[in-house]
Amino acid sequence: MIFLSNYIYYIGAFGLILIALYILLTRHNLIKKIIGLSILATGVNLLIIAIGYIKEGTAPIFSNPNLNPQNMVDPVPEALVLTAIVISVAVLAMALSLAIRLYKHYRTLDMRKIKEQRW
Amino acid sequence: MVNPILLIAVPLGLAFSIPLFGFVSKKIVKLIPIVGMLFNLIASLILIPKVLNKPIIVKLGGFPPPFCINLFVGPVGILFSCLIALIGLLVSIYAIRYIGAQGKQSNVGQEERYHMLYLLLLAGATGVVLTGDIFNLFVFYEILCISSYALVAYLGDKPGVESASKYLIQGSIGSSFILISIAFLYGQFGTLNMADIAQNINSLTSVQVFFPLILLVTGFGIEATIFPLNAWLPDAHSSAPSTISAILSGIAIEIGIYAIARVVFTLFGAQDFFLFLLMLGLLTLLLGELSAFSQNNIKRMLAYSSAGQMGLILFALGVGTTEGIAGGLFQLITHVLSKALLFLATGFMIYRTGSMEITSLQGIGRKMPLSSLAFTIGAFSLIGLPPFIGFPSKLMIVFSVLLKQNVLYTVFIVIVLIGTVIEGAYFFKVIQALYFKELPTQESSDAQIQEAPLAALIPMVILMALIISIGVYPKIMTGILNSAASEFLDRVAYIKLVLK
Amino acid sequence: MSNIRMRNIIGLILLFIIAFAVILSIIEIPFGIPKTTVGNYYINNGIDETGAVNIVTSVVLNYRGYDTLGEVTILLIAALGLGAVLGTIKRKAKKEITPSSVVLSTGCKVLFPFILLFGSYIFLHGHLTPGGGFQGGAIIASGYLLVYLGCAKRRINQNRFKITESLSALIFLIVGLLGLVFGGYFLLNFLPKGIPNTLFSAGIIPIIYIAIGFKVGSELTGVIDNLIEES
Repeated sequence: MIFLSNYIYYIGAFGLILIALYILLTRHNLIKKIIGLSILATGVNLLIIAIGYIKEGTAPIFSNPNLNPQNMVDPVPEALVLTAIVISVAVLAMALSLAIRLYKHYRTLDMRKIKEQRW
Repeated sequence: MVNPILLIAVPLGLAFSIPLFGFVSKKIVKLIPIVGMLFNLIASLILIPKVLNKPIIVKLGGFPPPFCINLFVGPVGILFSCLIALIGLLVSIYAIRYIGAQGKQSNVGQEERYHMLYLLLLAGATGVVLTGDIFNLFVFYEILCISSYALVAYLGDKPGVESASKYLIQGSIGSSFILISIAFLYGQFGTLNMADIAQNINSLTSVQVFFPLILLVTGFGIEATIFPLNAWLPDAHSSAPSTISAILSGIAIEIGIYAIARVVFTLFGAQDFFLFLLMLGLLTLLLGELSAFSQNNIKRMLAYSSAGQMGLILFALGVGTTEGIAGGLFQLITHVLSKALLFLATGFMIYRTGSMEITSLQGIGRKMPLSSLAFTIGAFSLIGLPPFIGFPSKLMIVFSVLLKQNVLYTVFIVIVLIGTVIEGAYFFKVIQALYFKELPTQESSDAQIQEAPLAALIPMVILMALIISIGVYPKIMTGILNSAASEFLDRVAYIKLVLK
Repeated sequence: MSNIRMRNIIGLILLFIIAFAVILSIIEIPFGIPKTTVGNYYINNGIDETGAVNIVTSVVLNYRGYDTLGEVTILLIAALGLGAVLGTIKRKAKKEITPSSVVLSTGCKVLFPFILLFGSYIFLHGHLTPGGGFQGGAIIASGYLLVYLGCAKRRINQNRFKITESLSALIFLIVGLLGLVFGGYFLLNFLPKGIPNTLFSAGIIPIIYIAIGFKVGSELTGVIDNLIEES
């Protein structure tokens, strides 16, 4: 139980990543795969933030010059997550535009039927 | 002395300003990638003597290294940067006539977008090889990957969009693995600087150091087309426009191999891992060459051949000695020059005949003599025949394995030679079709099959000249190749240079 | 369909192996303890060296500003790729749209300037409060989306938005190059740092965030326009 309460954020982040990998492996509709990519990105971002957490910490902003620097969370993972969120938005935008274009060609989004490029 | 940051800032700046140039005149948009890559090539060549003396460390932002991002310009970085600039320049000269000819410009600004994406892909590739920080490597690697997704789907036709969507899904899974691994590395070592992490990794036995290594090799291996992860390769390379196929086969997958090498050699220093890499490379080589043998579509055949060559390069890097790594890098240079030449030669052949099947290219040798000669020279140098660059590079790899004096490795060399024989078989099939078979009798299309335009011939001639001159006199490359190999093997010197 | 069942089972086994390896390695990373020297250095010396009281902003734009340049490039590539892929669709005839009710259209028109104001506030104060260029730009784009969905009578002028996007990206790059010219390091903070916790402090950081705010706003609006145009 102590293990669970200490590591709950890691378990949550990894749960999301594993669910997303399961979706990507077993579902055939392109939109479902794109949703899987989005959940994967969310899980990874949550993992990075959870690694940077410090107990009893607040946001690293000195809005009042008397704030104690010991009580602030690590600022580097927050900067990494800013970049990672923007990257995942860019990939999702590309994926959705490809899905629109693919539907206009094939009239279906089932990846098992879109297999013209075989050997 | 040129500041190496300009190697990345100038192409980015030119790419950002292409829409502004587009408002002035539509014609100069085609020339901007040429200007950018010419600057990169000249700057890289100027920097070579200084870098061979002592690697340059550029601190971005002015703070000392673990607290800032630093660029590490060593022999490996400057070699890759020269290659990227050279191929980028030649393919952009080819694209002056090729992209306009593709037609279907139903949207204004479509050609502008091609040139911006092209320049950004090359800037991203240069950023990957020159950086010294692992999260920065991830960001520029993403620039490379996302531009290649967009460029594969550029024509908007059925095979292009389908291949791009499959490539995108597989590439994004790889990128997420890399990000998870970066999170683990930051959590354990508290820093993102490659030299700082390398200082703290002592052994590979604990699982929390081994697991990020596996994730990183898997993630980068999707782009580097290693065996189980290259399902996207034949579709993407064959449905892209020919200039983009040349860039993908010539630059993008080599950047994947560079990233794996940087992580395994410099970051982790994993000596016990080399045998695994070697066997993986051998497996990729065999499967790639065997799959290429049974293809009838020429671009799919060339794509599988790229996978096989990446297996050979990974095999050479896995040998782990200075001669082995130098041989692997030399084979990489051979592959870049030859595969770009092959894709450029077949570009206009396919456009003139309208089909990608090998049977419809029969007899073109008479109508398009220079393109067929270019294809033949590219094929011979990839197989490894004497006066071309493939011969000294393959010889270097074979010698490095024989120097190990181990029976197991000798068996490996026999397998590599079998791969070379299979390669020779399928390339000879195509060359025989080009020169020794008759044209399929279609009177109406006879009049259209003529030689490629001048702007397309110049890059092919330059590549042929380079292949023959380095093949005849390989000593000019051995100096920089040996320095590059010792940069990869000498972790302690790397750490000391960055963190003094 | 045993083929599908087999594939599901192989997927599950692979995931179990990954989960096992993950559990073994995550135990070594304790949760909630300060671990890094780099993080402490940024918190202790951030205000003196950069002048911004928001430490995350000083990490994003000053210590690791090169990553932000790459991030800005990735957004540009996504917008270009979307335009390239959707641009090959042939244009159909315009559809008839039922005009929206008075409440909806008046509400949208009244809300729109406030949303733009809020977005500008966020990117202008990026060095003092949580927020910054990317967040402010996204809010501005959502204002345009509201107008498109609620009361659109005409399209945005694509050319003007493209010029804004290119100019803002160029301003970011030129500020970095000016650091190279004046101080010898790319992205050096060469303007005076000012008094912390006031609007005009932190050197080049507000300038870069304003440029990023304009860029992201116009870029995402162009993306929305491309997507609506094709439907």
